[in-house]
Amino acid sequence: MSSSRLALLWALSWALGCGDGSSSPAPFQVVGGDNVLPLSVNGVHCSSRSFLNKPCVSVTVCEPGTANCQTVDDVILDTGSYGLRLFKQALTVTLPNVPSSDGGNVAECVQFADGTAFWGPVATADVVLAHEPAVRVPIQVVDSTFGAVPPSCTGPETGPTSENGILGVGVFAEDCGPACAADPRNGTYFSSNGSTTSGAAAPVSSQVQNPVALLPVDNNGIVVALPGLAAGTAPSLEGAVVLGIGTRANNRPGPAKTLALDGSGDFTTTISGGPALPGSFVDTGSNGLFFSPPTPIPACADQPDWFCPPALVSLSATNTPSHGLPGASTQVSFQIANFDALVVQPNDGNAVFSQVGGALTFKAGFDWGLPFFLGRTVYLGLEGRRSTLGAGPFVAY
Amino acid sequence: MSWRAQSVAIVLACFGGLTVPALAAGALGEPVASVSADERSLSAVRRTTTTRGLYTIERLESAASTVREFVAPSGVVFAVAWDGVSRPDLSVLLGSYAAPYRRALAHGGATSRRRPRRVESGGVVVETWGHMRSQHGRAYVPALVPPGVDLDELE
Repeated sequence: MSSSRLALLWALSWALGCGDGSSSPAPFQVVGGDNVLPLSVNGVHCSSRSFLNKPCVSVTVCEPGTANCQTVDDVILDTGSYGLRLFKQALTVTLPNVPSSDGGNVAECVQFADGTAFWGPVATADVVLAHEPAVRVPIQVVDSTFGAVPPSCTGPETGPTSENGILGVGVFAEDCGPACAADPRNGTYFSSNGSTTSGAAAPVSSQVQNPVALLPVDNNGIVVALPGLAAGTAPSLEGAVVLGIGTRANNRPGPAKTLALDGSGDFTTTISGGPALPGSFVDTGSNGLFFSPPTPIPACADQPDWFCPPALVSLSATNTPSHGLPGASTQVSFQIANFDALVVQPNDGNAVFSQVGGALTFKAGFDWGLPFFLGRTVYLGLEGRRSTLGAGPFVAY
Repeated sequence: MSWRAQSVAIVLACFGGLTVPALAAGALGEPVASVSADERSLSAVRRTTTTRGLYTIERLESAASTVREFVAPSGVVFAVAWDGVSRPDLSVLLGSYAAPYRRALAHGGATSRRRPRRVESGGVVVETWGHMRSQHGRAYVPALVPPGVDLDELE
């Protein structure tokens, strides 16, 4: 596997302009290495183009301690979650379930921002990211037929209709943290015993883990590097996730400003003319820019989830750390186009868009989805780990 | 008996040495005083009440989430909002509106599913957003919101 990697000397260099006045994104050159995980937006690592701005990687999973492995593509690269989750239907290897203290299996209900959920057992796998050494890690096998789904787990997804799984590589090492270790009624972790499911406390070390945190060297964070879009749209894009920050020659940070994140992984965004939004975050797994605009932007008549302004809207925002945490303010300029005119009507095969967004009626945060990452190099530092950009959790760009 | 008297009783029970006191959650669209029969709960450990103009807010805190219930002068819960590491049990919190919400979710469009969403169905509006370890949302019944209440206050 690794013999081909030197041939793949991949010197994608993008001098990033991106129209962003006061915060100049860091030029970053992706140079091939064991720690470079190719990232496609509706490109070669996506087996289905099931939604626009879909970021995909391929991940290798092995039965623990064996060479019985498979590579799964069409796995969403998600900086808004933590840990690997694969649909059972996408797996050909058999992974052992993690037993619970009462003799059942540890199971999990992970709920997503859209109200849907992943239900299924926690299993142990040897996971290979890029050409890094394998790490043994608890993952979730998504399986709505496993045991009895608790009633609190609304909207469990039944199969890989949209993607084969999700690789959560955000700023935390585990998916729930101390809250799930302290209380059996945490709503996330359960013990499944045949037809009986009951809430269960899960020690932090046995929760589903972000595999990046377990890498031997490149374990302090990631660099997400995606090229920009000259025309605001493209059929697909190819970029990379470089594992580690400043741990090797190829992940040494360029000029970037660091925003420390709060205990929830959030910072504060203030859109020009609007209130401070302290629950803001960057998230490759959100496929647009979702926020409450200070001046209303009309929603599309047919798809009210998206904005359809009569003309391009240009906005700017300031990102600052929440709660007095350290870090400089940065300005971000962005534009919102008419979704119907940009996406729906052309029907030209484009599946990457930098100017799509939708309304968040709940005025507490800005969801900087995938368009934020286009033409930027974004560094995400893990909680409790250090790099030359500071102590995690942080986002820097 | 008012719900206020009931909440006092629950607080007394908490100080009476019960371990992990489980407080009944008010369900959307139901009188607060009627929900003690609810078998499931949010495993809340603290409950506070504040008055804000036209309505009162009951705040329930548990290890994994904070829930705020907005109670109209009639004693009916007209909105709920939550923040936390994980989402509270909406099958309890939404009461009779849980079923239409679940049906509407099942008919979601082919869009990214890791994004905020607003679902309006069966007389209830449910808005969810956030990311793992930082889940937010609210639900309200437009027909029950007292006149003069700004929806922006319900968070």
